[in-house]
Amino acid sequence: MEGESKEWTLDPETEYRFELDPGESLAVKLIHGHAEVFGAELAANHPYLFGQECKAAVFTWRGCTIEMSHPSTEYVSEETPMAAYANLHIAFEQMRVRALRDLRGSPVPEYERDKPTDPPRVLVLGPENSGKTTVCKILINYAVRAGQGWSPLLINADPAEGGWAAPGAISVAPVHSPLATCSPGSPLGTAATSAPTALSSNALLPLAYWYGHSETKRNPLLLERIVRNIGENINDKYQVDLQGRTAGLIVDTPASFASGHRSNDDRQRLIRACVDAFKINTILVVGHEKLNVELNRNYGSHLTVVKIPKSGGVVELDHLYRERVHNYQLHTYFYGQRVPPPAGISSASLGGETLSDIILSPSSTIINFGDLSIFRIGAESMAPSSALPIGAARVVSETQAVPVDPAASGSGLLNAVLAVLAQPANTDEAERYDEEILDLPIMGFIVVTNIDIPLRKMTILAPNQGSFVGRTAVIGSFEWQE
Amino acid sequence: MYSQQQYGVQPFPHQQAPYFHQQPPYYQQPPPPPPPVAVYQPDPVSFRRDYTNHLAELKVNSRPIIQNLSMIAQEFSRFADIVAQCIESHIRRVPQWMKLPAFYLLDAISKNVYEPYARHFSAFVVPLFLETYGQVDEQTRSKMEEMLLTWRTGSPTSTFLFGPGSQNAIERGVWGDGASASNSNLISTAQVLTELEFTLSQKERAFQTNPYDTTSQNHIIVLHQLRKLVEAGVSQDELQQILTQLRSLARAAATTVVQPPVPVTTPVPATPASWSAPAQPSYPVQPSFPPSASPMYPTYDTVKAEPPTTVLPSVAPSASGSSIDLVGLLSTLKKRGYVPENGTPLGAGTSSLEDVSKPESPPDLERESSRSYRDAILLHDVRLTTMDITRNRPGIVEFLYDRLAAQCKQCGIRFPDTTFGKKHMEGHLDMHFQQNRKANQNVGRGHSRSWFVGLEDWVHDLAVDVKGKGREGARPLNAKAAAAAANAQRDADLRAQYVVVPRGEEAKPVACPICKEPFKSEFLEDDEEWVWRNAVLKDERVYHATCHAEAAQSGLALRLRSDLAASLRSHSSTPEIRPVGSGAVAAPQVLTGLKSSDASLRASLSPSPESKLTGTKRKVEDTDRTVSDEAEGTPRAKKLALAQADQSPQ
Repeated sequence: MEGESKEWTLDPETEYRFELDPGESLAVKLIHGHAEVFGAELAANHPYLFGQECKAAVFTWRGCTIEMSHPSTEYVSEETPMAAYANLHIAFEQMRVRALRDLRGSPVPEYERDKPTDPPRVLVLGPENSGKTTVCKILINYAVRAGQGWSPLLINADPAEGGWAAPGAISVAPVHSPLATCSPGSPLGTAATSAPTALSSNALLPLAYWYGHSETKRNPLLLERIVRNIGENINDKYQVDLQGRTAGLIVDTPASFASGHRSNDDRQRLIRACVDAFKINTILVVGHEKLNVELNRNYGSHLTVVKIPKSGGVVELDHLYRERVHNYQLHTYFYGQRVPPPAGISSASLGGETLSDIILSPSSTIINFGDLSIFRIGAESMAPSSALPIGAARVVSETQAVPVDPAASGSGLLNAVLAVLAQPANTDEAERYDEEILDLPIMGFIVVTNIDIPLRKMTILAPNQGSFVGRTAVIGSFEWQE
Repeated sequence: MYSQQQYGVQPFPHQQAPYFHQQPPYYQQPPPPPPPVAVYQPDPVSFRRDYTNHLAELKVNSRPIIQNLSMIAQEFSRFADIVAQCIESHIRRVPQWMKLPAFYLLDAISKNVYEPYARHFSAFVVPLFLETYGQVDEQTRSKMEEMLLTWRTGSPTSTFLFGPGSQNAIERGVWGDGASASNSNLISTAQVLTELEFTLSQKERAFQTNPYDTTSQNHIIVLHQLRKLVEAGVSQDELQQILTQLRSLARAAATTVVQPPVPVTTPVPATPASWSAPAQPSYPVQPSFPPSASPMYPTYDTVKAEPPTTVLPSVAPSASGSSIDLVGLLSTLKKRGYVPENGTPLGAGTSSLEDVSKPESPPDLERESSRSYRDAILLHDVRLTTMDITRNRPGIVEFLYDRLAAQCKQCGIRFPDTTFGKKHMEGHLDMHFQQNRKANQNVGRGHSRSWFVGLEDWVHDLAVDVKGKGREGARPLNAKAAAAAANAQRDADLRAQYVVVPRGEEAKPVACPICKEPFKSEFLEDDEEWVWRNAVLKDERVYHATCHAEAAQSGLALRLRSDLAASLRSHSSTPEIRPVGSGAVAAPQVLTGLKSSDASLRASLSPSPESKLTGTKRKVEDTDRTVSDEAEGTPRAKKLALAQADQSPQ
């Protein structure tokens, strides 16, 4: 590295924070000492690349020297909530080792007899811009770094977030190795590709359902149903994998769970759904006194509610930024990640992977209208039930699957992101039911890039090659254009 | 200092060391690590003192301690008499719950360091055993009985470990007069059952080591049936017969079988080959061989479904040369009406197969490591309260760095600096190596996002265990996962087959008639020959071994052969064929029962080389398909070929 780069020496328990502008990239190299980005340790002497408006921090427990090219906003902070997060981690590890001890039937010392043997199942709540996802990521990363073979489940219940899938999806994945941070396009590691990856967190195998909208108030009924479905799937997994159960799970939630101005009932119901479905035993409230009190009142009697400090490093994010992040995520889903390294850096890794390995080639395919059945869940624009005249019922209920005709003008299909549903496990016609479409996980996303009504054909962009004949897809409210 | 590692390299050659690989109960209480031992004790007096001290550590059944103690015994065999005296007095002195571990030590020493210890021990083993047997509880007794049975064939020459006299005396003491084979008046059902269990566990182990060992498999089924019989009650005569058969079986097993699944000193677990990760370890999202695609092999399900009453007679003749007529015995018993012809067998077969589909118990070292971690983490006093977590206690640093001293230079992931941790790190580095190699092979080739896994696969976590997480086989697998693992193993075996490229034809492109994919030749260093991997020669035609195996099952090969002339199409312009990561591990029954809807699903899952869809194109050019494709594994087109064949009207 020449000229532009500079070195920072960080004292123990401080962090170097940076915020990147659009189109800007940053390379960070650990010269010596120990350093981590949101719980994922950096290897020494490897340039790590950050891009796509990434806002992150390099934290050190023991002090370190790092070298980096020059980003737009950067500063060192000595006040971090990391000590509290570390204590949380220790407390969760205690729950895990007790759960494992219980599973193995190992002897329990006298003073430990009355301790619970439940693994940590944690719901993280907090208002907008409080760093919920970061807390989840740090806790997950510390757990997989413990060297105990934990593979906790990370559940993304925030439809605006996208996680490993794309915005609009609610998903869960077991995590086996630390989740790298490099871009908001892949905030929680990435889902598996055909490329070989160095980190298993870049080849995650999520189970995903399609909610289709970024706001929870759009269809809380559907969101609740998805949450409960995932809860059941996790239960099934735990039946098979008793040891896996002892690693516990962590649920990231949307800010609307913490503060909804008008849909208070929905909010409560969704929190309740999460607590029930995931058998939550610990709720973390990130820096929100009122919410903490409220949750303590509602749940404090039978589960642990802890308020945890919010990091001073969180950045206020505006609506436009979130829109751009949606684009980054969809781009990442189809094309992988392309972050041009800053000048002077020739080889660097992005999220722990070599650059050439994370560039993906989607496939563009022309299909007939009849090949793919497309549905929309509920009506296209729906007033909340409470806004309807008294006694009036909806023409289309929130959970009704309405067919979408590509030939109709105004179908809304052009540039729409569609989720392709997995084939039902049971192809027996007798087992089918009307609302099955709501209960099927998805196998991926496609985007309609062109519609030719006279020829009854449309062009779709798919992540890989494959036929969609006989498949079912569901439209949401996301659109994407390259 | 004696340390674990110092001894770790020495082989413990013996085949019967039950506590090392047999059952979890032996090791339920991992002990503290073995104490340090002084290196040089020339003096008998101090040797006696030190050995007694070390023995005192043997409070629970701990492999490291037992290993350490028997190493010392081996080292100082000139003090064999002292060792023998120490052990004897130790066993007599300690409370009854500490006696069994000491017996395991005695057992380990006499089997592994036969000379001169067995001789020394045989002087007192009879009264010591019987006396102890009289003092301990029911559970310990059965463990002692198991151990006693291993002594029958425990010597290096597979004869009585402490001589026939001692063995007889102990057995008579334990089971009464009828015990010895030579002198049979009364044989207790309990004794027969114990021996049966023992033989059964031996067989199951053999079967785990070698899943293709149909002999063992059949024996297991028969033994399960026999057990039911004996439990139901049979006559003295038959008990005698069964016992005789069992013994010859056990003896045959002891002589002919079977390195135990893992040499005793290997620090990490008894994971038989068939349980290790599938053959292509670095491709987690595309387990390249869906179990559904190999109907040629009976899955566990199909084996289970067949009542052994029909299976056994036909397979019994093929049973090994040890001429064990268990089946005959069983059928005799059946004829006499002890067993309903179609009663128990089905259940018995099922349970045996489920038993063997369980992986071996998790290894000691893992337990030990997690135990020491548990102790350390529980030392911290952190309560989950708002107040408590904000009190500053940077205790985490110990766990993030100090306990994990070894770090992967490539990705920064850390491992403990212990034998256990090193083993894991090796696996991890190996994963990097594979991944890098794969990445180099794939240069210039497009990658794409895989479909997400299906619900079933996600729940059963089938596609995961290949990323160097280092948890091989340590978790409970269900029957389905077991079937998948077995299939992967078979697939690997198929892929290992090769055909030597005929001289002068190295440059000629040859394609598999089934999938139309060209073979990739590679140079086999050992044989110094160019070969085609994953290939078999049938009717002077070279097929992919995997394709042929599938096609042979479906009868497709016949059709294809006749169609061959018509269907030879060039595939050089086809788009790259990519498997669908998610759907790849599917339920085993899919292919066999292809309905048309299934078939279309299949076709849609496997991208079509014939391009069922017009207009498919890749956005990024594939520059080098032929080089890398076959290295990946099964050519994908074959699935499609199968699916289409099923679909097309015949």
